[in-house]
Amino acid sequence: MMCRMLHRDKLTAWLEELSRSGRRLIAPQREGNDAVFKPVETVDDITLDYVNTRWPVKEWLFPRSEPLLRYRYVGSSVELEQPDLGLEPQVIFGVRPCDAAGLAILDQVFITDYEDEFYTRRRSVTTVVGLSCTEPAESCFCTAVGLSPTSSEGSDMLLTPMGDDGYLVETLTAKGKQLLWEYGHYFGAGECGSKDLATKAIEAKMSRGATLAQGIGYSEELFEHPIWAELARKCVGCGICAYVCPTCHCFDIMDDADAWGGIRCRNWDSCAFSLFTQHASGHNPRPEQDGRYRQRVLHKFSYFPQNYGRVMCVGCGRCVTDCPVNLDIYAVAQAVLHIHDELHIDGKSHIAGEELHSEPHAREHNSLTSSRAAS
Amino acid sequence: MPDESWQPQIVAFVCQWCTYAGADLAGTSRMKYAPNVRIVKLPCSGRIDPLFLVKAFEQGADGVLVSGCHPGNCHYVSGNLLARRRFTVFRELLSFLGLERERLQFSWVSAAEAVKWTEVVDAVTEEIRRLGPRKLGWGETLPSRGSRFQVASSKVEPETRNPKPKTLQAAEESIRRIARQLLEANAVDVVVGYGNGTLSGVTTPVFVTQPDGVEQLVWNERCLNNLSVYLTRDLVKRMGRVGIVAKGCDAKALVALLQETQINRDQLTIIGVPCEGMMQNGRLAVKCVTCDVHTPPIYDHLVKVGVGIEILEIGESGEADPRDAEIAALEALTHQERWAYWQEQFSRCIRCYACRAVCPLCYCDTCIVEQTQPQWIPPAFDAKGNLSWNIVRALHLAGRCIGCDECTRACPANIRLDLINRKLALLISDEYGYRSGYDAGVAPPLTTFRPEDRAEFIR
Repeated sequence: MMCRMLHRDKLTAWLEELSRSGRRLIAPQREGNDAVFKPVETVDDITLDYVNTRWPVKEWLFPRSEPLLRYRYVGSSVELEQPDLGLEPQVIFGVRPCDAAGLAILDQVFITDYEDEFYTRRRSVTTVVGLSCTEPAESCFCTAVGLSPTSSEGSDMLLTPMGDDGYLVETLTAKGKQLLWEYGHYFGAGECGSKDLATKAIEAKMSRGATLAQGIGYSEELFEHPIWAELARKCVGCGICAYVCPTCHCFDIMDDADAWGGIRCRNWDSCAFSLFTQHASGHNPRPEQDGRYRQRVLHKFSYFPQNYGRVMCVGCGRCVTDCPVNLDIYAVAQAVLHIHDELHIDGKSHIAGEELHSEPHAREHNSLTSSRAAS
Repeated sequence: MPDESWQPQIVAFVCQWCTYAGADLAGTSRMKYAPNVRIVKLPCSGRIDPLFLVKAFEQGADGVLVSGCHPGNCHYVSGNLLARRRFTVFRELLSFLGLERERLQFSWVSAAEAVKWTEVVDAVTEEIRRLGPRKLGWGETLPSRGSRFQVASSKVEPETRNPKPKTLQAAEESIRRIARQLLEANAVDVVVGYGNGTLSGVTTPVFVTQPDGVEQLVWNERCLNNLSVYLTRDLVKRMGRVGIVAKGCDAKALVALLQETQINRDQLTIIGVPCEGMMQNGRLAVKCVTCDVHTPPIYDHLVKVGVGIEILEIGESGEADPRDAEIAALEALTHQERWAYWQEQFSRCIRCYACRAVCPLCYCDTCIVEQTQPQWIPPAFDAKGNLSWNIVRALHLAGRCIGCDECTRACPANIRLDLINRKLALLISDEYGYRSGYDAGVAPPLTTFRPEDRAEFIR
């Protein structure tokens, strides 16, 4: 890692030059009271005045709706059209550390585990410039899931505000180094350790201090526990929590056709929806909201840790503030963890791998039997 | 100007008994008329779901014509009269969203009126030809920058009236007392009320099953949720007899649910709370400005709040709804400007369906968006699908929405669903003298008709 300083006055000039470099610059801009990532037309539109952006940054790599192919009937044959991925090099500026860590999680799913062509190609032309937080929101809990308001995971370059001096610039990857090399004249000497004090000051303002980074161990007793119906009772089954989540990555592939052709599209999907697990036969292994909500919590804090060694939550707090019924995943995860600990007082590590009875297909089996038991 | 070779493509949805027979007669009589209409035959104009018209526009129709039997001639007695109301609302909705009125046409053509059919088709084709092709796809807008129309923010700023702390405290104590009595007497199995949320100034729904649990119940100026949404949910229904804490606006939803026979009055105990208004973003919530149900229209137990809450008769709020000025401003715009405004709004839709999820009157087991055979609403989260979804949502709530504004509060994209709901509520009040949520004994306006209903837009 290399560290530099970027003087406060030079930020705009740097972004200005960056926006004319042939790369597409994406940065937070005002939309009503919100800040929203949008391609920059003029750097004056960029805002730095936000705790976090309205939506997570993931849609610039994993769009809400992505055409996989289009087809048209031409006479008696079919003409296939490859979608335009719009693969111009892009720099996303102003990504908060939680959202950047969310990208690192999506990388695990879409690149490491299985190479998703669409995500991987977009990711390869994207440079992420993170911007550390200065003021946490009441709903923020990145420290509870092993991150911090200045953590650099997922960013290629991270800017941390250092008072009037400007920004401490950390370059973390080859893409970040490239950016530094190209615009070296904007950056002065910087000291890598200097952000520690700033980090501690922000962390001190955060009120959500539980430790959830170890995840929640899986067990059948926990899976079948009545807590889920109790927790999910107030869930109204909208998709807000999944769609504002920097890490949620489930999608559905659907065809939309008319007389002249059609489009095959993959769209974000949410485990809160009844259609999410609906089978063609009409059977639904998660017939009610408790099973759906359990999936959300255990996927993030139990299954994902088993498969990828970390929890699938970055503590951005969007689902907490946006939930219309204040179903707070931070509070829920603590409650479930507490129940797990009561059920299993042997003190085993929460990150599974050690708990062998919880393979994914065994879980599917469980959900089937539980739905039968319920019906 | 449209180029000379362009021909409007018009889809006609017609009833098989009258208009189709009339068109058939025109054909067998060798009458000449514009060849721009493609006919889709249905059993009755009452079977013509507005969604069919949406599909036609989605797929690029320049215009749509709906035609059925004259009033009094319906093969099924009243299908056309029910359709007339539905299309009155649909036509106003599409116009409000910026579609030119000329693109959506209606007529009554009998089996004998071959000549009228040719005249209608010629006239409709000519009007749409003058309008030219639809320049933009369904839900699309021209890319614009900076010049996007903003609704002139209303002059009537909602006041920052704070409910009186004393009445709130009295109400909270009273709610707890009533809930305890109900649970102790085993009159209900669960009380659904408000509890403290996990963020400051936020409440959350709580489900109290034990008398000692009533201490969780709170009452303050942040009790915005409409808890009646839970009464149709399986996880709550299974708990048994429900006692529900309801403000006036929430009780209106209960009235509508009773009217639509979705809940059983015998199994429900309503703890009505007189309410001076709830606060949102530091000011009185917009829906509360014109509230005329400070005291719930129905209840079993009325919470004691001491003194100070005025009991108003229906329609007596005396305040102007700040949204009426916004609606008027939108209606003063050209269709193109209005279209641009709404498509920009809908472009933000992320299809989370929170508007549906929090709506007490969206209780269908399978929503139209979940019907995949056929796929009624385009599945992609794009301009086309977002527009169709938002039209269908609004239309399904027309004449039913009780104006609790929960959809607008829940929308993470801040889409002005409240303007659409309010527009349709005003329309239905003007046309049919009906306001939802006050009387469980009358038929909802779109399930009934009067012979004298407005029909001047029908050729």
